[in-house]
Amino acid sequence: MDALDPVRAELLRAARASADAVLERAREDADATLRGARATADAVLARARELGGADGAAGAARERVHAAQDAWAAELAARAEVYAALRDAIRAGVRRALANDAAASSAVTAAARDALGPGARVTAAAEGGATADSPGRRVDLSADALADRALDRLGARAATLWEPP
Amino acid sequence: MTGPAPIEYTGVRELRGPLVVVEGVSGVGWDEFATIVLDSGERRHGLVLDVDRDLAVVQVLEDTAGMNRTGTRVAFSGSPLRIPVGTGWLGRVCNGRGEAADGGPPVLGVSSAAVGGAPINPVRREPPNEPVLTGVGAVDVLTTLVRGQKLPVFSAAGLPHLELAVQIADQATCGGEPFAVVFAGMGLTHADTAFVRDALAARSAARELVLFVNTADDPVIERMLTPRLALTVAEHLAFAEGRHVLVVMTDMTAYAEALREVSAARGEIPARRAYPGYLYSDLASLYERCGRIRGRPGSVTVLPVLTMPGGDITHPVPDLTGYITEGQIVLSADVQAAGAYPPVDPLASLSRLMRKGTGPGLTRGDHPALAAQLIAALARSRQVAELADLVGRSALSPADLRHLELEDAFRSRFLTQGRDENRSLDDSLDRAWEVLLTLPRGQLGMLPAELLDAHAPPADEEPR
Repeated sequence: MDALDPVRAELLRAARASADAVLERAREDADATLRGARATADAVLARARELGGADGAAGAARERVHAAQDAWAAELAARAEVYAALRDAIRAGVRRALANDAAASSAVTAAARDALGPGARVTAAAEGGATADSPGRRVDLSADALADRALDRLGARAATLWEPP
Repeated sequence: MTGPAPIEYTGVRELRGPLVVVEGVSGVGWDEFATIVLDSGERRHGLVLDVDRDLAVVQVLEDTAGMNRTGTRVAFSGSPLRIPVGTGWLGRVCNGRGEAADGGPPVLGVSSAAVGGAPINPVRREPPNEPVLTGVGAVDVLTTLVRGQKLPVFSAAGLPHLELAVQIADQATCGGEPFAVVFAGMGLTHADTAFVRDALAARSAARELVLFVNTADDPVIERMLTPRLALTVAEHLAFAEGRHVLVVMTDMTAYAEALREVSAARGEIPARRAYPGYLYSDLASLYERCGRIRGRPGSVTVLPVLTMPGGDITHPVPDLTGYITEGQIVLSADVQAAGAYPPVDPLASLSRLMRKGTGPGLTRGDHPALAAQLIAALARSRQVAELADLVGRSALSPADLRHLELEDAFRSRFLTQGRDENRSLDDSLDRAWEVLLTLPRGQLGMLPAELLDAHAPPADEEPR
C-alpha cells in the first residue's frame, strides 16, 4: 500500500464530488433554461394567440361594417331606382291625363294665361300642358313640370314604396 | 293643382361671380330661397342676398358657371329655405345643401322646417344635465360633455382636431338612450371627406348618423347653410323624435370665412378683421340652438370645432365663440409635439356645465373630486416645472419632484389613447387614480378621506 493512497483517494473523492456538483448545477441550469424557454414559448404563444384573436376580431368587425355598408348602399340605390320609376310613372300619368281630357288641358291653358295676364303668349308644351310667357316672366304648366311638383308635394308618402306605411 | 302657378322670372340683367341680378321681380324678400332653371333644363338653387325695388340679387349655391343671361329662369319660393325633417335623414350622406350624395333618393320627411330655426322659448329651456360619453378619456373625465351643452374644440392648423371630432362622433353614447349624431363638415378637402366618410361608416350603416359634407371647393353660400341644415335636422330628431343628438360642426372658422365673403358681396361694412359686425350674433344663432326643452325627452348637444388662425385665441372667431359657449376643449401644439393623442391641454380646457353632468347616479361618485384634484395637481406640476427652470431640479423638494414627474405620468397613462380606442369611463377614471397615486397621500387634499382610503394604500405603505 502506497502512503499516498489516502491522499489519492481523497483527491479522487473530492474531484468526483466536485464533478457531481458541477454536473448537478449544469443539470439544474439546463432545467432552468428549459423551463424558462418553455415559459417564454408559452407566453409568446399566448400573446400570438391573443394578437391573432384581436386581429381576427378586428378583421371580422371591419368585414361586418363593410357588409352593413354595402347592404345599405344597395338598399339606397334600389330606393333611388324606385323613386325614379315613380317620377316616370307620374309624368306618364299626367301626360296621359292631359292628352285624354280636353277640359283639363284647356283649364291648364287658362290657368297659364291667368297667371301672367291677358298680354301673355301661351304656348302648348310638346308633352302636354302649356307655358305662358310675358316680357321678363314665365309660367311653366307643362305636363312634366306639373308632375314634378306633384311628386314634391307627395313628400314622405313616397317613402311608403320602401317602408311600411 | 293647388295654389297659384309659380312665376319664373326671365329678366337676368347681370351674372357676376356667384351672383345673378334678376330684374322685374315683385314681392321677393331677403334670404328667400330660389330655384334657377338653365337653358339646358339643369336646376340650380340660390338665396336672395339683396332686393332693391324690382331688382333681386341671388347667390347661386352651385355657382354660375355655364349660365347664360338669356334662357335662365329664376323662381322664388316665397320663404327662406325649408327642408323636410324626420328619421329619413338617419344613415344618409348629403352634400352641404342637403342633397343626397350616397346614391339614394332625395331625403323625404313627414314635415318641413325652416333652416333658420325657431329660438327655444327661454322659460321652457331645461338646464343641461346628464353626460354624453365620448369614449375619449381626457374629455369624459376632465371636460365632461353634458346633454344640451355647447362645448367647442379650439384647435390650430396641423393638429388632429378632425380626427378627434370624428372619433367623438363615432363613439359618443348617452347611456343606452336613443342617440344620434349629426356631423356637419364645412370646407373639408376631398381627402378629409373620404376620411370622415370612411371613419363614420359603421355609425352610418347603423342609422345613427346624418352626415353633411361641404367641401372646400363648394360655393361659400352653401357653407353658410350646412350648419343650419344640420341643426334643423337635429332639432327634429331631438324634440319631435325624442333622441339625444350630438351635432359636430367642423370647421367653424371656414364657416366664418364664408360669412365674411358673403358679407363683402352684400357690400356690408366690415368690422374686426373684415368679419361682419354681426359675427357674434350669427354664431349665437347657431350655438344657441342646442339645449333641452321642458316636457320633451330629447336634447341637442353641440360640439363645434374651430381652428385658431396662427394659434391666436384672441382671433374674432374663437374669441366670440368663447363668449357664447359653455367652456372649451383646447388642443395644444406642445402636447402634440410630446407625441400624445388627443393633444388636449387640460389646464386651458374647461366644461362649465361639468358639475351638472357628473357625480353619483350620473357618472361615478368619485368623478368630480377626482377631476378637480387631477387639474389642481397638473397646475402645481406646471408651476414646479417653471420653478425648476429657474432654480434647477436639485433645489426642489421631494414633493415638488413628484409633481414634476406627474405630467409625464398624466400624458403616458391617462391622456394618450388610440385613435380608434373607445375607453370606458371606469377605465378612464381608474387611470386618473393611477396618475394621482404617484403623489404622496398628503398632496391629495382635494380628495375626501373615504375615497382615498378606498383607492390609495395606507400612508405608511405608500411610495416615498
